[in-house]
Amino acid sequence: MKTRKNIIYSLVIITSLMPYLYVFYDFGKIKFSIDHYVGFYPIFGFIACLLLIIIAKLIGVFLKREDTFYDE
Amino acid sequence: MMSNLFLHPALPLLVGSTLIFIVKTKVNIISIVSLIISFIFLLLLPIGSNTDFILESMNLKIISSTKLSFLFCLVFLILGIVGKIFSIYQKSISEKSLVLLYIASAVGVIFSGDFIVLYIFWEMMAISSTLVIWSSSSPSAMKSGQRYLLVHLIGGLILLVGILGMYSETQNLAIRILQLDEWYTWFVLLGLLLNAGAPPFSQWVADSYPEGSYSSTVFLSAYTTKTAVFVLMSTFAGTKLLIMVGIYMIMYGIIYALLENDIRRILSYSIVNQVGFMIVGIGIGSELALNGTASHAFTHIIYKGLLLMSAGSVIFMTGKRKCTDVGGLYKTMPLTATCGIIGAFAISAFPLTSGFISKSMILEASYYANFEIVWLFLLIGSAGVFLHAGIKFPWFVFFHRDKKIDTSDPPVFMKTAMVTLSFLCIFLGIFPSHLYSILPFDNSYIPYTANHVVSQLHLLVFSGLAFFMSLKYLERTLTITLDIDWIYRNKLIFLDNLYEQINKTVSNLGRIIWSSFSKLRLEYIENVLLNQATITVMMTIILFIFATILLLNV
Repeated sequence: MKTRKNIIYSLVIITSLMPYLYVFYDFGKIKFSIDHYVGFYPIFGFIACLLLIIIAKLIGVFLKREDTFYDE
Repeated sequence: MMSNLFLHPALPLLVGSTLIFIVKTKVNIISIVSLIISFIFLLLLPIGSNTDFILESMNLKIISSTKLSFLFCLVFLILGIVGKIFSIYQKSISEKSLVLLYIASAVGVIFSGDFIVLYIFWEMMAISSTLVIWSSSSPSAMKSGQRYLLVHLIGGLILLVGILGMYSETQNLAIRILQLDEWYTWFVLLGLLLNAGAPPFSQWVADSYPEGSYSSTVFLSAYTTKTAVFVLMSTFAGTKLLIMVGIYMIMYGIIYALLENDIRRILSYSIVNQVGFMIVGIGIGSELALNGTASHAFTHIIYKGLLLMSAGSVIFMTGKRKCTDVGGLYKTMPLTATCGIIGAFAISAFPLTSGFISKSMILEASYYANFEIVWLFLLIGSAGVFLHAGIKFPWFVFFHRDKKIDTSDPPVFMKTAMVTLSFLCIFLGIFPSHLYSILPFDNSYIPYTANHVVSQLHLLVFSGLAFFMSLKYLERTLTITLDIDWIYRNKLIFLDNLYEQINKTVSNLGRIIWSSFSKLRLEYIENVLLNQATITVMMTIILFIFATILLLNV
C-alpha cells in the first residue's frame, strides 16, 4: 500500500507540473484543427480513458464468467 | 538467376530445423547459427532481385525481394536470434526445431512473389505454429491448439478459394494491389484478415498464444499477425474498409485487455490492438501511412517480444500466470521489472522510446488524408494503450499488492535477451533515422517536435491519472470474458457434439466391420485414431496435400 501511495503522490505532482509544458508549445505550428485549445490533449486523454473503463465494465457485466467456465 | 535461390533466408532455417530433429544435441548452437547464416543471406540478397523456380509448366516466384520484405525479414531475424537466446533454458527439443520451421515459413511468405508460393508457406506457418503451441504439451495447450488450427484452416481455405478464383478469372497470380470489385478479392482479403486477428475472429490471438510455453509465446506473438500485415500492405493498401476494421481491433484489444486477468493474455489482446493501428495505416494507404505501418510493425515486434519475455520470466521463475497470483515482484525481480517497464513505455509511445517514433506517423497520416474522426479514434486508442498495456501490465505484476513471492531474476541468458531488446527499444527511440532509412518510401517525417512531445506527454500522464483514480474498479478478479469462441467451445457443445457424432458413427461402423476381429483393435480405433487431435492433424495433412495437388494442376 505504501508504494501505491507514493505513486499517487508523485503522479499528483507530475500532473500539476504538466501545464507548464505549454512553455515549449508553439501554437503557431499546430498541425491539427482541434489542438489549438489549451488543455485539449490532457482532457481528451483523461475522458477517453474513463470512458474506456466504463465501457469495459459494462461489457464485463454481461460477458464475465468464472475462469473455470470452460473447464468441465 | 537460379543462384539467388540458394540465398533464400528461409533455407538455413529449414536446414537447421531438420538438423535439430536428427542430431538432438547442441540444439541451441544449431538454432542460433542457422539464424545468423540466414541473417547473412538476407544481407547478401540484393534488394529488387526476383528469382523464379521453373517447375514443369509452372513459374513459381520463390524470391521477390523489396525494401519492405527486407525490413520485415530483418526484424523477424532479430527477434528470432534474441528469442533463441531467451529460450536457451527451454528443454523441449521439438519446440526449438518447430520454432525454426515457423520462422522459416514466415520468412518464406514475405519473400514470395506470387500467391501459390505464398499459400504454401502460409499453410506451413499455420501448421508449424500449431505444433509450436502443442509442443508445450499441457492439456489446455492441446485444446487451444486445436481451436487455433481450426480457425487457421478455415482461413487458409478461404484464401485458397480466393486464389483459385483469381487464377480462373485473370490467369495472373502475381502479388499486386487488388481492388475490392471482384468476388475473389473478398475471399483473399478475408483469408488474410483472419490471420491478422481481425473481427469477428480476433479471439484466437488471446486464446492460443498464452497457452504456449514461457518461451514459445515470444515467437508466436511476432510472426503470424505481422506476416498478415505485410501481405495486406502489398495487396490491399488504400482499401478504406480496412480503416473501420482497424479501429474495431484497437477498441476490442483495449476493452478485453482491461477485463483480463491472465498476464500473457493481456499482452495478446494488446497485439490485436497494435495490429489494429497497422491495419488503419494500410487502409489510409498514403506513403506516410505505409511508412508508419512498416515502422510500427518493426518496433512492435521488438517491444512486444520484450514484454512477453518479461512476462515469460515471471512465469519461468514463479510458475504463476495470473495477475491475481502475483504482485510486488519489483523487489525480487528488479531487472525483469525494469525491462518490462521499458517495454510498457515503448508500447505506449512515450518520447525517447521506439513506439513514439512509429505510431505517430500513422496518426499524422490519418490527419493529412482528411480523416479527422479516424484521427480522434486513434488518439483514444493511444490513450487506451497506455491504460491496458502501459500501466496495467507492470502495475499488477510488479507492484500492487506484495504477494511476498520468494524468487529472483531469471538466469543470465534470459536477462541478456531482455536487456538487448530494451536497448533496441530506446536506441530506436533516440535515433529514429536508422529505422527511417530502411523504410519502403522516402521519409521526411520528424517525430521530435516540441508540440508532439508536449502533447504526447499530456495525453499519457492524464491517462495514467484516470487509471489510478479508477484503480478500485480495475481490481483483478478470477474471471474470463466470453467471446465469439463461445459458439464453438465445449460449453455450447456445438463442435463437441459433431465430434461425438462422428465418433459414434465411425465406431459403430467400425464395430460392425471389426467385430470379427479382436476387441483390442476396436479399443485402439476408439482411443487413438478417433481422438480429436488425431482427426485434426489428419484433416490438416489431407487438406495440405489436396491444396498442393490443386495448385500444381491449375
